Amino acid sequence: MTEPIVSVKTYALIFTSLLALTLTTTLLAYIDLGVFNMVIAITIAVIKATLIVSFFMHALYEFKLVHVIIAGGILWFLILVFMTLGDFLSRGWVK
Amino acid sequence: MSESSSLAVREQFATADQQRETATVGMWVFLVTEVMFFGGLFMSHIVYRLLHTAAFDRGSADMNILLGSINTAVLISSSFTMALAVHASQEGKWRRLAGFLFATMLIGLAFLGIKFTEYYQHYQDHKVPGFWFESSGADPGAFQMFFVFYFAMTGLHAIHMMIGIGVLAVLLFRSGLERFTSAYHNPVVIAGLYWHFVDIVWVFLFAIFYLPGLHL
Repeated sequence: MTEPIVSVKTYALIFTSLLALTLTTTLLAYIDLGVFNMVIAITIAVIKATLIVSFFMHALYEFKLVHVIIAGGILWFLILVFMTLGDFLSRGWVK
Repeated sequence: MSESSSLAVREQFATADQQRETATVGMWVFLVTEVMFFGGLFMSHIVYRLLHTAAFDRGSADMNILLGSINTAVLISSSFTMALAVHASQEGKWRRLAGFLFATMLIGLAFLGIKFTEYYQHYQDHKVPGFWFESSGADPGAFQMFFVFYFAMTGLHAIHMMIGIGVLAVLLFRSGLERFTSAYHNPVVIAGLYWHFVDIVWVFLFAIFYLPGLHL
């Protein structure tokens, strides 16, 4: 597969979106929403990471093997989080 | 090895495309190992935060949100100039490539400067874990633990930034020798992947260290 080339216009659009999302997440953090503060912060961080991976790292335009490797990385991290929390939260230590 | 042969497809590859794909796959696999590296720290932070949420929120309230959010914007800007450097290398415009590489390095250094300014503020506030650490309120051990995570994770991130700036310096030197063309510029693209990855790590560090204390 030949090298994917992302246009400068796309890069600029992603750059402005990332700045806007940073401003949004910072302002939202000032409102007390209980546990949802962390949910919103992580959701916006995941959106930002997805934009960076897809366009700045042009993963969206790459061949399938790259997608498999990225999926493997995400899956590994989710296994780490969910298996650890499955044990930890079932011990009744967190009030 | 002469100048021209270093730009040619290496003998173990059949085509330039195969060479590019090999480098790309290699870099992505490395980045997955980096996810594992940082992942363990993030997981530990989740566990401690669940046990000591209030103390961790108070720790987060001691962050300098102005410097933190400016630094996030600074790092995103460096990712943008890095992306433009990759674009310039793909078009074979080596002067523009050198310019954007230099800009990315400078913005990266600005990030580190702001980061170390914050560290100095924490030092003056007696918030560096150790002998002179000053805790306040309930659960002082967990309060200090917040700062252990903060320094360990942002410190590891800062080390990655320094390595990235070093890599860019090598690329800048090589681009000055007109080593990169529109046909061969894999090292620029690969270094770009690393730089953007370090940016992603910061996006999450900003979310877990700076934001939770803002509503207090």
